Amino acid sequence: MARELALIPPPLALYVHFPWCVSKCPYCDFNSFTLHGALPSGTYLDALRADFEAQLPTVQGRPVVSVFMGGGTPSLFTPDDIGQVLQMLRAALPFAADAEVTLEANPATVERGRFAEYRSAGVNRVSLGAQSFDPVVLKALGRIHVPADVHRAAQELHACGLDNFNLDVMFALPGQQREGALADLREALALQPAHLSHYQLTLEPGTPFAALPPPALPDDDLAWEMQQECHAVLAAQGFGQYEVSGFARAGRQCVHNLNYWQFGDYLGLGAGAHGKVTDAAGVIYRTTQLREPRRYQAKPVEGLQRRRVPADDLPFEFALNALRLVAGFEPALWVGRTGLDLQQILPLLQKQQARGLLELVGDRWRATEQGQRFLNDVIASFLPGEISQATPVV
Amino acid sequence: MHLIRNFSIIAHVDHGKSTLADRLIQMCGGLADREMQAQVLDSMDLERERGITIKAQSVTLFYAARDGQRYQLNLIDTPGHVDFSYEVSRSLAACDGALLVVDAAQGVEAQSVANCYTALEQGLEVLPVLNKIDLPSADPDKVIKEIEEIIGIDAQEALRVSAKTGENVDELLEELVKRIPAPKGDPAAPLQALIIDSWFDNYVGVVSLVRVVNGTLRVGEKVRIMSTGRSHAIDKLGRFTPKSVSLTHLAAGEVGFVIAGIKEIDGAPVGDTITTESHGSADPLPGFKQVQPRVFAGVFPVNSEDYEAFRDALAKLRLNDSALHYEPEVSTALGFGFRIGFLGLLHMDIVQERLEREYELELITSAPTVVYEVVCTDGKLLHIDNPSELPASNLVDELREPIITANILVPPEHVGAVLQLCSEKRGVQKKMLYLGTQVSLQYQLPLAEVVLDFFDRLKSSSRGYASFDYEFSHFQPAPLSKLDILINGDKVDALSIIVHRDDAYHRGRELVDKMQELIPRQMFEVAVQAAIGSAIVARATVKALRKNVLAKCYGGDLSRKRKLLEKQKEGKKRMKQVGSVEIPQEAFLAVLQVGRK
Repeated sequence: MARELALIPPPLALYVHFPWCVSKCPYCDFNSFTLHGALPSGTYLDALRADFEAQLPTVQGRPVVSVFMGGGTPSLFTPDDIGQVLQMLRAALPFAADAEVTLEANPATVERGRFAEYRSAGVNRVSLGAQSFDPVVLKALGRIHVPADVHRAAQELHACGLDNFNLDVMFALPGQQREGALADLREALALQPAHLSHYQLTLEPGTPFAALPPPALPDDDLAWEMQQECHAVLAAQGFGQYEVSGFARAGRQCVHNLNYWQFGDYLGLGAGAHGKVTDAAGVIYRTTQLREPRRYQAKPVEGLQRRRVPADDLPFEFALNALRLVAGFEPALWVGRTGLDLQQILPLLQKQQARGLLELVGDRWRATEQGQRFLNDVIASFLPGEISQATPVV
Repeated sequence: MHLIRNFSIIAHVDHGKSTLADRLIQMCGGLADREMQAQVLDSMDLERERGITIKAQSVTLFYAARDGQRYQLNLIDTPGHVDFSYEVSRSLAACDGALLVVDAAQGVEAQSVANCYTALEQGLEVLPVLNKIDLPSADPDKVIKEIEEIIGIDAQEALRVSAKTGENVDELLEELVKRIPAPKGDPAAPLQALIIDSWFDNYVGVVSLVRVVNGTLRVGEKVRIMSTGRSHAIDKLGRFTPKSVSLTHLAAGEVGFVIAGIKEIDGAPVGDTITTESHGSADPLPGFKQVQPRVFAGVFPVNSEDYEAFRDALAKLRLNDSALHYEPEVSTALGFGFRIGFLGLLHMDIVQERLEREYELELITSAPTVVYEVVCTDGKLLHIDNPSELPASNLVDELREPIITANILVPPEHVGAVLQLCSEKRGVQKKMLYLGTQVSLQYQLPLAEVVLDFFDRLKSSSRGYASFDYEFSHFQPAPLSKLDILINGDKVDALSIIVHRDDAYHRGRELVDKMQELIPRQMFEVAVQAAIGSAIVARATVKALRKNVLAKCYGGDLSRKRKLLEKQKEGKKRMKQVGSVEIPQEAFLAVLQVGRK
């Protein structure tokens, strides 16, 4: 029975990675590279085409719910480049009528007037890395933009009808006080975004910040205070929290990211892109592309790695995503996305329920307030190896 | 019998006992050069690494002396640490003489003094030997003076040797046969054989090293172990040269091994007497004692699945270690384990290390405790080796703690620091003698204070120069209280300690502070309290962790996030759960780390 349920393929999203930045920020752990010399857009677009054509058969005919062009800095590519990529995708796959098409942009790399062109090329949503509005903090973060760039970009977005845009705002930044975090948030909200991603700065392993943490980072208690007060402001301004760091006005939640968190499928195109695809038999694969742009451009097809996700890993992978959502998930989502029986995950859910970290509301499993705060503890309990302990041995 | 010499080597750790023994074996042709492995006598790796001998291993050598006679030399090994003073006394009881080996550079140390006194008390002829005279820092004249002043024997004639280079070892052998008397004993008298040491062999069962005092041991004969009253037929007799050589009999004065189908180490206890089943001796040899463990600790496997393996390992160690006592213990915090009794701290270290190294067990040990004598209000006398078993204070009439007599030798420049340490440890001075280069101190000290951290403190307060020896003296009433640690209101049995009332408050404070430092912040606030009875004497709070959540998680690489979570989880697995609180293992040893300012 379970296998047959899995034959309904999950929604499909497309992720396209653009790996270059004008300069790499010291906190960033994404697959990005400082651009030296001219942008090799022609070569890169050719590679993307070869990559896409090779992966296409695994998703042939499935409707696309969203496209996300991330980076790096995709806005280093011209509207014409972006238009070519979107045309290529649309020509090969059916797009849903309301398909969301997002472009990530650095406020400093968009020249005034170009958002309209991106819009004409098919982009209907923009994500801007604002991070902070304090010039001193922005400098400490290694950002190349100034607060005025964000204001200008936001005005332009509104002016050209791209009002469905997101601002990335970080808190617990070097030297930041409680007031600074609130001021950043207010200034961001004043720009009338539809969506706001509000993150605590994380020192990611392998980044310059992890090796040498910036001075005067707020401690855990102050960071917590900032988070609580900012969340209150967001709620008061009509931004509902739907994920750990995700806030949106009604109806403006990010379709693309929701698909990740609902354990949907996505094709990963471009250097270092990751994908997740369920085949016709219900088997889930994860794909990884070569990270380094030149190597990727040389071998966009042969460099792709495909790995079958073992059934033992599914409870963890599903929980890691689905429990980030404030609304949690219905049991049918687990069954539909993994092809496994609810019994495979139910004892684990119940164990966390007993700890007060998960709750069953109606027929949805979701993290309690405490569970949201300690989500790592919750999802770690879904790691393989826990199953045998949680399931009574018959 | 007049050609037999039975002797031991008395030496401090590192003063060259094993090297000298090896040299003697080599010079008497006991092993060909190619068979010589440095330090043959210390057969266990662990002993070799630590430079100490735990189980005595002995050897029979044949020496062609300059007088034309061929002598049988029985070198009887002695364990080299304070915890094994009873075993040492039994080894010495089998000897007629001893070599007092002193490092010519370092001088006399307390442990040699104690063993030397035991030898003198038993009437042994003691030959002073200065070793390591090849060292540039050797100062034989100073050390001779020390031996005379501290031990009180004539050392003018002391032999000056280097076991390492072999210098003067031939002279030593000559002196040995000349000055150590031949054993006395009557081969025709009823059999009395002293058990010097017993160990378990997987193939033949218990092997005992014996010194035949009177009578003769013969293969096939029925013998009786006097303390157990059990009879056994002798399967095999022999001696170690150091290779084992079978014999048909062992006569009075001789030393050798006996195999008699004994299955358990308790069947042939050290110090016991073997006699014949018929026409046996009426009296055992004097000095036999059942060894008593003095220090106890709860030992628990880190992974509860290892409990069975732990039990099996203990049973195997017990085969060869009659001093090891254990019984199951269940701790609410640490789960299923064993309460293990040890002779002392070194014995505890050795057992722990063998369990972890040879049996690959991951163990967590609660703070070691001594045995207390409890006089209950109903007149009953209890011996308590686990603080959690102490009856409520209203049921206790009197609490008595074990007191030891400690002998300490320390150079005069460090005596002040040592006196201060002893007084801090509630010691009562019995003697203080200035003996030239060293000061000899005798103290009565509560064993509990010694167990805590006395060795380390003594060494550090004397820059490593003080040496120390002790023996159990008596039980003595003391104002003692049980200090409990409560985590979020739950008493953690494995953390209870018995403390002197004067120390209770500050020990409670320190312990609570240390726990606060060691317990990581978790989902809930954690209250750590120290209590005596129902009175809370100290409290500290581990603030709640604010959150533990990944700020970002999109469709990218999951493997790094997974690794991070696996690491977090692995860290938690190594913690012990008390109620809903996760306590790292180091916290259970915090008891050992406090009280040392």
